[in-house]
Amino acid sequence: MGNGEGSGSLSRRALLQMIGSTAGSAAMYQAMSSLGFAAESTYPGPTELPGAPKGASILILGAGMAGMTAAFELRKAGYKVQVLEYNARAGGRNWSLRGGDSYTEMGGLTQQCQFDKDLYINPGPWRIPYHHRGMMHYAKLLGVPLEPFLQVNYNAYLHSSHAFGGEPQRFREVKADYHGHVAELLAKATRQNALDASVTKEDQEMLLESLRQWGALDGNYTYVASDAVSERRGYTKNPGGGLSARPVPSKPVALGDLLGSGLWEALTNGDVFDMQTALFQPVGGMGRIGEAFGRELNPLIRYNSKVTEIHQDDTGVTVTFTDSRTAGPEQTLRADWCLCTIPLPVLAQIPMNVSQSLTSAICAVPYAAAVKVGLQFKRRFWEEDEHIFGGITYTDLPIMNIGYPNTGFQSGGKGVLLGAYMWGMNAMQFTAMTPQERVQKVVDYGSQIHPQYHKEFDNGVAVAWHRAPFTMGCFGMWTADTRSKHYDDLCQIDGRIALAGEHASFLGGWQEGAVTSALDAIGRLHTRAVAQGRA
Amino acid sequence: MKGIFVMLLILASSVQADSPAFTSRAAIGSLNGEQIYDHICQGCHMPGGAGAIAAGTYPKLAANKKLVSWQFVALTVLNGRNGMPPFGQPVHHEQSRATHLTDAQIADVVNYVRSHFDNNFKTTVTSKQVTGLPHPTAELMGPQ
Repeated sequence: MGNGEGSGSLSRRALLQMIGSTAGSAAMYQAMSSLGFAAESTYPGPTELPGAPKGASILILGAGMAGMTAAFELRKAGYKVQVLEYNARAGGRNWSLRGGDSYTEMGGLTQQCQFDKDLYINPGPWRIPYHHRGMMHYAKLLGVPLEPFLQVNYNAYLHSSHAFGGEPQRFREVKADYHGHVAELLAKATRQNALDASVTKEDQEMLLESLRQWGALDGNYTYVASDAVSERRGYTKNPGGGLSARPVPSKPVALGDLLGSGLWEALTNGDVFDMQTALFQPVGGMGRIGEAFGRELNPLIRYNSKVTEIHQDDTGVTVTFTDSRTAGPEQTLRADWCLCTIPLPVLAQIPMNVSQSLTSAICAVPYAAAVKVGLQFKRRFWEEDEHIFGGITYTDLPIMNIGYPNTGFQSGGKGVLLGAYMWGMNAMQFTAMTPQERVQKVVDYGSQIHPQYHKEFDNGVAVAWHRAPFTMGCFGMWTADTRSKHYDDLCQIDGRIALAGEHASFLGGWQEGAVTSALDAIGRLHTRAVAQGRA
Repeated sequence: MKGIFVMLLILASSVQADSPAFTSRAAIGSLNGEQIYDHICQGCHMPGGAGAIAAGTYPKLAANKKLVSWQFVALTVLNGRNGMPPFGQPVHHEQSRATHLTDAQIADVVNYVRSHFDNNFKTTVTSKQVTGLPHPTAELMGPQ
């Protein structure tokens, strides 16, 4: 998302609309990514800000990834840094919910997370692509160990409630059959001379050989049940040792059934740049990064602080705040500069004397609905019964995704999976429910894929981002139109105030957007501070 | 068959206003004003239009004098406001995506809110009046 829609965007939008209306949103996301809405990091390498004016100070609003990245680097550069944070913890959307944690959403409903020790979900971001070099850098710097995040699991499911009698299909089978049938068709077209105008005779020989390999075709370039095909899609009975050893090949699904199922839409989810191997997750939960940052910066961060006004004058910035728990008396802090990472739906409601263009930009970005639901089960049946170790199942049910834990494999006792990760209208409707209703519905829907759900369900937590007290939404949604009108204004320094966060990036919804926007903003603030001296 | 399913959903949600059933994307277009409130709006504006306060505020819709202007309410639903996503169907779109409401539905939910939750504004809005207001210009792109 976010790179903007160029000319010809109408037809592209129409295509996306068609995909979005007929298929799951996983397909929508995939289509968006492949059409150039996904973007890579511009992380420039470790930050150096030499020559900070003696005694220069900065006030940072928000102790999420953007705010703490900035605080870390500016402290290192010699600035006097203070951070105000609404929550009682550091991290912002970098957050894990663990057993014993309590979470109160807007509206006042509180959930007590009852997961067993060491089990968690990440209500916000859950994966770090290897090329998000800013995130990788700070995880390393903070000593937060990483482990693989399994984006693609060939034994996880693709599921359509309208195809194959609602039976989930293994990713491996759908992928092998789709490639096999397409290879067969293309081989047929080649051999019937349909490609003579496009491919030389010599290249046609190479093409046919490559299709045979790519699609596991037989000697006649057809895709039919065979040992070779079972090596791709799996066996009805796996090869083994001894007298019970003989494998039984499996039978491919017919092309028409496959195309009609729509399951092919999810095949390329792991092929897009943001989702390509290797991806990582912090050991113990994504929140480990925010927690480590918080410990590192602890003396600088003032928690439970709700900003109520931001006022700049010729010599500095004064921020007024109250205790977010008690709404106690107003207090103020002052500094030469201010980096504001407050999410835009919140910031839009805080009085701040900046230009009309920045004010307009702050009000121009709606925030996405997203819901994640963590479910604890009495045993890891997805591993024990179905041999699914990590990865993601995609479904056209409202739950949209099931994420299996990428850690703790084969451990005894209970297990927690991500029972739903939904957005769009699905997420809005689940946001409108109580947390208990959300969990119940996710269990009900998920049981269509895993019949063990009802018997094994233990407890769950549900986070609806529009009700998150500190963000009022999951992330900023830009359009080509709003980007061209407002993005630069949002990122420009206004007097002594600059904004940062994923909303001020082309990596919308990614932590890397927060990190790179913070580094970009403090680089410019630093230049200005050096130019002006302290005052 | 689909019609019967929609009917059942409507019946279910009308007896359980604060505990909305989930409605498929296809059936969203069949929801009336009250159901739209229960299924979508109350996610932020809360049951009964109570609103909520945290780092920022979801405005309380109950007994809210600002609702005197139906244009204000309809424009907000159509185009969003601050972090609130737009629900109007973007111009340049032949057909609605499931995340959008029709002009008739927006009129209906505006009328519902302005006549419930201790609001008692007598004027009602028509679908045609909503159609006459500015609509969003572009599609919002989705999440990670």
